Amino acid sequence: MDVSQYLDIFIDETNGHIQALNDNIMILEKEPENKDVINEIFRAAHSLKGMAGTMGFKKMQRLTHDMENVFQEIRNDNIKVNSNLIDILFSCLDAIEEYLETVKATSDEGDNGNEALIQQLNDYLNGGATAAPAEEAVETKAAPAKEEAASDGLSHMEVDDVTYSKIKEAQESGLHIYEFTVHIQKDCLLKAARAFLVFKAVEDFGEILAYNPSSQDIEDEKFDLDFSLVVASSQELQPIVDAIKAVSEIEGVDAKESSHEEFMQEEEPEAAPETKQEETKTEGKPAEAPKAAKATKTSAKSAKANNNKPVTARTVRVDIEKLDALMNQVSELIIAKNSLVSLSDSEQNGEGNNQSFHDQIEYLERITTNLHESVMKVRMVPIESVVNKFPRMIRDLSRKLNKPMELYMSGEETELDRTVVDQIGDPLQHLLRNSADHGIESPEERKKAGKPETGSIILNAFQEGNNVIIEVKDDGAGIDTEKVKEKAIERGLVTPEQAENLTQKEIIDFLFMPSFSMAKKITDISGRGVGLDVVKSNIEALGGDVTVKSVKGTGTTFIVRLPLTLAIIQALMVEVRDEKYAIALGSIQNIENIPVSDIKYVQAEEVIHLRGMVIPLIRLDQMLDSAPSEEEPDNLTVVIVRKGDNYAGLVVDDLIGQQEIVIKSLGKCIDNNKIINGATILGDGEVALIIDVNAIF
Amino acid sequence: MKDENGLDVVEKETVQYIVVSIGNEQYGLDISYVDNIVRMCKITRVPKAPAHYIGVINLRGEIVPLMSLRRKMNLEDDVFTDITRIIILKTEEQGLVGIVVDEVKEVIALAEDEIDRNTQNSQSDKTQYINGIGKNGDELISILEISSILDEVDAS
Repeated sequence: MDVSQYLDIFIDETNGHIQALNDNIMILEKEPENKDVINEIFRAAHSLKGMAGTMGFKKMQRLTHDMENVFQEIRNDNIKVNSNLIDILFSCLDAIEEYLETVKATSDEGDNGNEALIQQLNDYLNGGATAAPAEEAVETKAAPAKEEAASDGLSHMEVDDVTYSKIKEAQESGLHIYEFTVHIQKDCLLKAARAFLVFKAVEDFGEILAYNPSSQDIEDEKFDLDFSLVVASSQELQPIVDAIKAVSEIEGVDAKESSHEEFMQEEEPEAAPETKQEETKTEGKPAEAPKAAKATKTSAKSAKANNNKPVTARTVRVDIEKLDALMNQVSELIIAKNSLVSLSDSEQNGEGNNQSFHDQIEYLERITTNLHESVMKVRMVPIESVVNKFPRMIRDLSRKLNKPMELYMSGEETELDRTVVDQIGDPLQHLLRNSADHGIESPEERKKAGKPETGSIILNAFQEGNNVIIEVKDDGAGIDTEKVKEKAIERGLVTPEQAENLTQKEIIDFLFMPSFSMAKKITDISGRGVGLDVVKSNIEALGGDVTVKSVKGTGTTFIVRLPLTLAIIQALMVEVRDEKYAIALGSIQNIENIPVSDIKYVQAEEVIHLRGMVIPLIRLDQMLDSAPSEEEPDNLTVVIVRKGDNYAGLVVDDLIGQQEIVIKSLGKCIDNNKIINGATILGDGEVALIIDVNAIF
Repeated sequence: MKDENGLDVVEKETVQYIVVSIGNEQYGLDISYVDNIVRMCKITRVPKAPAHYIGVINLRGEIVPLMSLRRKMNLEDDVFTDITRIIILKTEEQGLVGIVVDEVKEVIALAEDEIDRNTQNSQSDKTQYINGIGKNGDELISILEISSILDEVDAS
């Protein structure tokens, strides 16, 4: 079967299931007795197996199958959950993710059998089983229905409404309902004939209500080595089984008494029909159905969120409401256009009036602004898709580092432009690792310092104006500025004398320098010194910035500030000589008119004193290599910009006004330009350059 | 290639070149790199850009960097006239790049054996971008190696 067309769906959904499993296994570790969670896990694992099977990814199917076995035993209380098992399960998830990556890259699952993992799982399974052997044995015998669906034994059947009512009717009239799965020997030559003989034998005892595969298919030999029957009979089970076994070339029969309830949850919507058959098995009791439905919903939800990796094309799932809003605005745009057309017609007839023309332009302006906003919203995705893998990461780190710690997240629903969300994962991950490794102290040290032994790391995201702020906070030891200072002197970055005069902030800034690592030893978690500088440059490439607040002994906070969107910004247009430049409005604090006489000098640099702050002046004309001006005016127009807590005053010749601009790249050739981070096309077709305020500091 | 009699047919593989003039010399640009030829338009200077980039232009909504071959080859600076044109080159790595030429003359087809590849090996500013001399009637045309003109961008 050609399944390539389903590959995208498969990848998307598998991602969702993996995430659901990750989340739920995390919960399971904390609440090993929580049946709802186990059921959800079971459900996700099962769907995963079904999908892998449908797509023909045998190795992946095998691994998930064995995982499912374990979950099954957990559900049946035969295995107790402990962190060892959780570790194994997590490494299984990693393995599945690896399969998925390979599938993404090559459309094939690769050839890693993950035998070791499967062995571990099975060992665990056997270990768990021997712990309660008697119970296990009884269970298997008494309720063969609970036997693993796909491994062997009965394969449960799906029935349509008509058959279902027939089964119900039969049962209500006092007949026993039996389910049989008949296995035919491998070397059997006339399978259809054997099947026919089986039917004949069974029909002596009662009526066959359902076939799987259909009776037509069985006659046409369109089945493998087994087929299933549902039979209504007034007689005992055993004679029927004996009668079936009496047919030659039959390897065996699995049989059980059943009831119509078992056929009830067939309406469960499922993507792949192949999985459906197995699915029904997992929900033996009707009481479980709502839960299962809930599980589907949850996994569907996380599947939606979990589209952060490029598969074949980069896509954004869009809320239909957002599209509706977009559609509305487009229709308004058309109305506005039509009004303008009719206006220009009446203009030609000499009866136009300037006022209504102006009104229409304003209307048009409003619509385009709204349109921009809507399109921007369409591009927005919650950061959830990136941050929801972090709890798992912190858990792993916690075990690896032997430091108990907890990650608290809030604001996962905060939305950011798709492009930003795609690229924010690595920097955030790095900051978290940093907090876990360097921030949080060992439990002994924490005890000594009078802190709870379990460290906390807080990831908090929220929107602030046109920015999104993501804070990574830990309650660890804080940054030891003295040590950083020593290190900086040791590395020859500053002289000891200079170091004395450094502010707290300047010292912390050393941490963002390339290959400046404070770790005493290199671990695989951090300490290679390729860290914070990369974080900083990644975030700055997105037009954001990182700042640090740290109090020794009580913790460190990294604050990441990101622009809501990259493509379109509000900007202040300024003029320097006769060239036009744009400055992002987000970084502008205010605009001042400064008399030249107010300029002071500090270390031969021009500064201004403004409301208690000393702000360095930057002559844009000099920085931009513009032609020198002939005369110095009496008053300077100064645009005060800020980056974090730093301020600078940009001297411009003239202000043009605020404008919404579309950011365009300058192209690779001139990309190494630090001061200019893009260009925009103005209304008259002229190109204006955008000044990168971040580069000024 | 063979004709119906099974005999080899010698078919000259020719490459088309756009002949442009810069100063008093003529240069050939492989037409497969050329996306477009446009008239001179308003150039926006980009501060701190590499010296041989004069700035950027707006090519139907796209920002395209503009390179001066004259500056690149250390000739005196461009004087823009009515016949000055911008040739928009398209490459895989760099995307669109415009180069300024004094005049666009014609398009010629040259076979490989009409190009003399034995150009002097000196690494002067001018010759390092030339990978052959083509003959078009009486005129000599220096074939520009476009990839080397553009590639060097990264290094500079």
